[in-house]
Amino acid sequence: MSALAAIRPDDWNIALFVHILGAMALVGSLALVLVALAGRDLRLGYRALLLGVLPSWIVMRGGAEWIAEKEKVNDLDPVPSWVDVGYSVSDPMLLLIIISTVCAGLAVRRQRQDGPLRGTALVMTVIMLVAAFVAVWAMSTKPT
Amino acid sequence: MYHALLFFHMIAAFLLAVTIVMYSAVALGATSSPRMLFVADRCWDVGGLGTLIFGIWLALNLEQYDFFDFWILLALALWFVATGLGQSVQRRMGGEDMAAVNAMHWIRTIVVIALLVTMVWKPGA
Repeated sequence: MSALAAIRPDDWNIALFVHILGAMALVGSLALVLVALAGRDLRLGYRALLLGVLPSWIVMRGGAEWIAEKEKVNDLDPVPSWVDVGYSVSDPMLLLIIISTVCAGLAVRRQRQDGPLRGTALVMTVIMLVAAFVAVWAMSTKPT
Repeated sequence: MYHALLFFHMIAAFLLAVTIVMYSAVALGATSSPRMLFVADRCWDVGGLGTLIFGIWLALNLEQYDFFDFWILLALALWFVATGLGQSVQRRMGGEDMAAVNAMHWIRTIVVIALLVTMVWKPGA
């Protein structure tokens, strides 16, 4: 079974590469946001959300759809649970990214290093990092 | 066993990505704090060791791969290059020649992406 899992057609590689590259950039950017906001560097946190997290989420999600279409996993009945986990983690994450970016942006504009705006962005970043950890677990262990 | 090893290998690779993104932010002009550099450097140390250990374990665990397959040897070579560059960046960070540090960081970034390409395409497998 593990041997089968390690084999895939060559024309899936580019989609998988884009998906993983986007996911790695996403996690890296989220970690940067976390460190920046925890250190009260709101401007860096905001820029990392806007220029790092959001674009890498788009790349990761686009790559996910591309590889899902190539593997035709959405045509399976029932859809594998690891695919469901992927969608359930990544789609709501966009909402969290938008909310935390708006909060961080407002905090920068109002020059408030403490308070609910920074706290909200910080908590959402932690939630997104935990969600990303769950997604990596689901993608690599593929629970049925 | 395969899936558990792959999970830990992937987590280690994501830690390397954390380092790459943080140092890229610094190279692009972000103010580096001691906290950020500490996190980035520890992620590099743990991620580097983790990718190596779990990567070799994975290669030995699967029957269709041989330790001396071209893509595994290539990945090991790239890993050593990336590690060497990473150690140099850590040592020289905060010194006078930041242009050289940034150049080494960008080369390291290209090497890490090349590692990912090797892992996905597995040339010679």
